Amino acid sequence: MGDRVYAKLDHENHLLLDQPLLRLPFELLRKNFRSAHFEVERDGSFVKNTLKDTATSAMNGKASPDDVLKSLDSMLARMKGVKRKLSGFADEEARLYRHEQARVRHLAELYDMHSTEDVKYEHWSRTRLDRLLVDYLLRSGYGTSARMLAEERGIGDLVDVETFETMGRISQCLRNGSVAEALAWCTAGDIKKELRKMDSNLEFELRYQQYIELVRPYTKTKLAEAIKHAQKYLHPYRTSHPKEVRQACGLLAVPPQRAASYPDYRALYSPSRWEMLAELFTTTHNTLLALPSIPLLHMALSSGLSALKTPACHSSHPASLAAAPSHATSLSLASSVCPICSTELNELARAVPYAHHTQSHVEHDLLLLPNDRAYGKARLEEYSRKAGLPEAQVKDLRTGQVYPVEQLKKVFIT
Amino acid sequence: MAMLQLEKELEKLTKSARLSEAVDDVDKIIDLLTEARQRVAESANDPHTTILTLTKLQNPIREGLEAVNDDLKSVHKGQNKFGKALQQAFTNDKVIKGTLPTEHDPMAAHPDLINRAIAMHLLREGQFGVASTFISEATPQEESSMAQFQSQLSPATLASPTSPRSPTPTDVPIVDADPSSELSALHSEALQASFASMYSILSSLKSHDLLPAITWARANCAELEARGSNLEFELCKLQFIWLFKGPEVNGLPDTPANGRSGALQYARDNFGRFQQRHLREIQQLSCAMVYSSNLGASPYRAIFDITLAFDEVAASFTREFCSLLGLSAESPLYVAATAGSIALPQLMKFLNKVKGKGTEWTTDQELAFETPLPKSMVYHSIFVCPVSKEQTTDANPPMMLPCGHVLARESLQRLCKNNKCKCPYCPSEGRLQEAREIVL
Repeated sequence: MGDRVYAKLDHENHLLLDQPLLRLPFELLRKNFRSAHFEVERDGSFVKNTLKDTATSAMNGKASPDDVLKSLDSMLARMKGVKRKLSGFADEEARLYRHEQARVRHLAELYDMHSTEDVKYEHWSRTRLDRLLVDYLLRSGYGTSARMLAEERGIGDLVDVETFETMGRISQCLRNGSVAEALAWCTAGDIKKELRKMDSNLEFELRYQQYIELVRPYTKTKLAEAIKHAQKYLHPYRTSHPKEVRQACGLLAVPPQRAASYPDYRALYSPSRWEMLAELFTTTHNTLLALPSIPLLHMALSSGLSALKTPACHSSHPASLAAAPSHATSLSLASSVCPICSTELNELARAVPYAHHTQSHVEHDLLLLPNDRAYGKARLEEYSRKAGLPEAQVKDLRTGQVYPVEQLKKVFIT
Repeated sequence: MAMLQLEKELEKLTKSARLSEAVDDVDKIIDLLTEARQRVAESANDPHTTILTLTKLQNPIREGLEAVNDDLKSVHKGQNKFGKALQQAFTNDKVIKGTLPTEHDPMAAHPDLINRAIAMHLLREGQFGVASTFISEATPQEESSMAQFQSQLSPATLASPTSPRSPTPTDVPIVDADPSSELSALHSEALQASFASMYSILSSLKSHDLLPAITWARANCAELEARGSNLEFELCKLQFIWLFKGPEVNGLPDTPANGRSGALQYARDNFGRFQQRHLREIQQLSCAMVYSSNLGASPYRAIFDITLAFDEVAASFTREFCSLLGLSAESPLYVAATAGSIALPQLMKFLNKVKGKGTEWTTDQELAFETPLPKSMVYHSIFVCPVSKEQTTDANPPMMLPCGHVLARESLQRLCKNNKCKCPYCPSEGRLQEAREIVL
């Protein structure tokens, strides 16, 4: 009863997990556009101004025909540059449109299905799992596997291998102690502006790390460089990060070998800062592109494991242990082994609470065997028939004990 | 219908707003500049022409740049519009408000367990290439030699391919298994070999070749019988029918080993062992021989209708094969992720309600809200005590009163007075000792 309601698909809410799927290409589209706009703006005004200046100088006789040719050449070069870059952006745009279209189409397919029992739904849901897996693999840095899986399943347009690979490369560089790549990322084109908008301290932390690395060797030349670096890059942050900037000054007085007795400075010299930077970068990157901070698979699993889990899945009950774990109910007569009891997920599910139920879900016409185990009448009879027992006998599905029918008792579930 | 709306919006966007149009307009500017350059170069020593050319160039270039800017503007406008539609699609009235639950992540603490689940999922899906790449990528480098060593030592966590073990409770290593060694234990490729053989049998089944499946079923007949499975007989029966249909249906060579004579011979050779358990069905099959000329009109036509039979035996073969490995037939990861998407709206609804109250989103043991799943996803019997409305657990098991009604033990103890209990659902009364703890 009520099962048809449960199996019905709530289309609008079924796609909650899939918002990032459409958001990412869109954010990338916007980013792509802003970069294109930036190039056109810069080189466009250059060409306009140069042309004006050249015309004026030519009129005043200040520019020789050679000069005119030269400046025309420079304008041409600029415009060709714009064309090359714009074509690149247009290609990227076409790719993103293709992704977005494939994704919207994929999500729209869901409207053709009305029940979770639909065969098409199973296919769709499998594709979704593949997407979630690729997302997880990419975020965990297993790029090769992610690529292979996406390719084998033909879902290249539904996943974002490139985006995550770029991100993974940069954060790996940070873990290896190199700031340059991350710094290049966060100062490129318009990202700087976006980061400022979201009040990110990524650039500051990266510059700070550069400073620390200049102080670390503690040689005269390097210290001088460090001071210059601080004047240029840290000083502007003195109002927003007063404490850090002051500490930066203090750091000059504390060489690394003496830092052990000062926890604050020790922390600045600590290699764990690289890990912190890598994580800061990842979070910033994900926020900027509207990506959730944790893998989607985690969300799906923690919600799903709880929904499926029952107290019986981790039961250590002597009665059920003596005979078989609860999943031994998976006789061919039962539908299947419970996924939570299956080896793959059992340990993982330990961490989550079990589902809440307000109604009992038991088989119809329960009969109690003398060994205190209850089974549905239909299943009991079928099993006994398949086991080739005479009609007046039944066999326990789990323990295999045989009992005469008259020893069975009816169980009433209210 | 939000997605269908979005599909239309996207159609509009991709048609009208394209940077490639800006590229065309830039091309025009380049043409203008090239032309002007040529003219200036030709009239090398004529300042007048140079000035004239440059002056004439001003306006077209300005217009050209404006055109490029207009192109960009229309792209920008189109994207903004689509952005709004996108926002709308996920925030309309029918959709539960709020953000995805990213704050509480019980999964984050167990990357090894997740990796293991994924590796097993890939193997059972038959994606052996991806699986082995993944396992080597996910196994920390310095440990990999160790892992190989371990995998040789560890008493194959999963059964060897030739003799899948029976699902007895003691050898399901779920409690004490160290997850990282588990992942590397998959290196031992026992599981992969098992699934490879499963897929080869399945592909034979698909091409209507039953023999590999029958061989497997015969090798594991003891375990199958213990599970109450008739797989072996079902396969043999189908083989009999398949042969019976003769060369024009089964496409096998027209020899005495095919057709009716072949079927008869097959029955003689193989059905003997099933006589005790399946006598009736064997009788039916043999009687049908008599009707071979007009089977379609005979009482046996239902038995010989095998349009779905191959799919059915393939499904039941998969189920049995996985069960003998102690695994469920459907990928648990698939079921869990699907259930997760179905249950997610409830979780978000709940989170929205408790937000700001500082309440933790779960109690320790049980979810605070109901997550309705389709019946096919309910695997265990669930008993909710009709008195306390609590699910029964190990500590609070179901108890049956002498009258047959069932309560949770705690409820029963609360109802008892002087060792006597009156059933809350019928007039009968009994003593506490008479109540039996039952296993549902």
